[in-house]
Amino acid sequence: MDMTPMIDCVFLLMIFFVLVIDLSQQDLEDLILPEAKYAVPDENPPDVRPIINIAQDGRMIFKNNPYYNPAEHGATDKQAEPHIRRLLLEWKDKYVKDKTVENLGGRKVTVINDPVLVRADKWTEWHYVGLFMTICSQQTDAAFWKLELAMSEEDKEVKLFGGKR
Amino acid sequence: MSKHAKDVEEEAKADMTPMIDAVFLLIIFFLCIDFKVLEAKLPAYLPKDKGSNNDDTPPIEQLSLKIICQQEGTPAERRPGSNSKNNTMLVGHVVRWELGPKRYDDLDKLKDDLTDIANDPRRRVPDLKNPGKMKIMPIVIEPQPKTTYGDVATTVDAVSAAKFEEINFGGGRGAK
Repeated sequence: MDMTPMIDCVFLLMIFFVLVIDLSQQDLEDLILPEAKYAVPDENPPDVRPIINIAQDGRMIFKNNPYYNPAEHGATDKQAEPHIRRLLLEWKDKYVKDKTVENLGGRKVTVINDPVLVRADKWTEWHYVGLFMTICSQQTDAAFWKLELAMSEEDKEVKLFGGKR
Repeated sequence: MSKHAKDVEEEAKADMTPMIDAVFLLIIFFLCIDFKVLEAKLPAYLPKDKGSNNDDTPPIEQLSLKIICQQEGTPAERRPGSNSKNNTMLVGHVVRWELGPKRYDDLDKLKDDLTDIANDPRRRVPDLKNPGKMKIMPIVIEPQPKTTYGDVATTVDAVSAAKFEEINFGGGRGAK
């Protein structure tokens, strides 16, 4: 029996799965998330949901691209705002469906009712997450106000490195 | 045995070596890939309304929960020698919580007290979206400087488990 075609098929399948796994994970940076005790598993995520990854050094990454890097762009609100705003406008145009224009405090604000998933490393200073949240809620043309905080079913730090909280 | 029968027997013998090679390759592949741990999510809200407002709506009572960093902890490498930019962990990082005037050092105790508050009908507030109905009091989480995403997320996890539905963030953002 000639096994060559079967081996060819197996290799093709392997290559296919390697590529598919890589593509499906490009939204998710390799961060160690805090462990959830009670949170709801994210089993049926929406087709289109913006995911922001916030690294320990404060870099804000979307689909492998760092949109804001405190070391490069500066750490103040004013320095961060245009970079994060660029990302929010991109999300508004390409990723969200539920948006309404509302009159808030005498101003017309485009309110985005779709949630953003925030993924940050468990040791990322809250300052950076807070900075992102503040800028999200301050935009009049793309005010994201619903957030989901990502956690993990198990503490990978303890599992992989024996770390302790 | 005739020569013909001997030929048939030889043809039926398949060479299993390539298949075993392929199976081993598959085993190695699945051992090497890092299976992603299932992620969970917690809902939270930012203030939607801002700026000056002429509405006559009365202010709603809400619980204030502060997260205070007691010990920042000593930075240590997760994986010694790694070039990863997410390779730091804080050994000995300790936080405490303040729910109004009461101080907590244990998250489980905080969760138990929050559950009692959520279940107490006297602590309900009017639901402005459904006039005439009452709802569980909203809670505002106020992370203080040097707190981490892990501190806040685990706190939100406990608050959520206590059945609070409206979780807001306030109190600045833990300025550096």
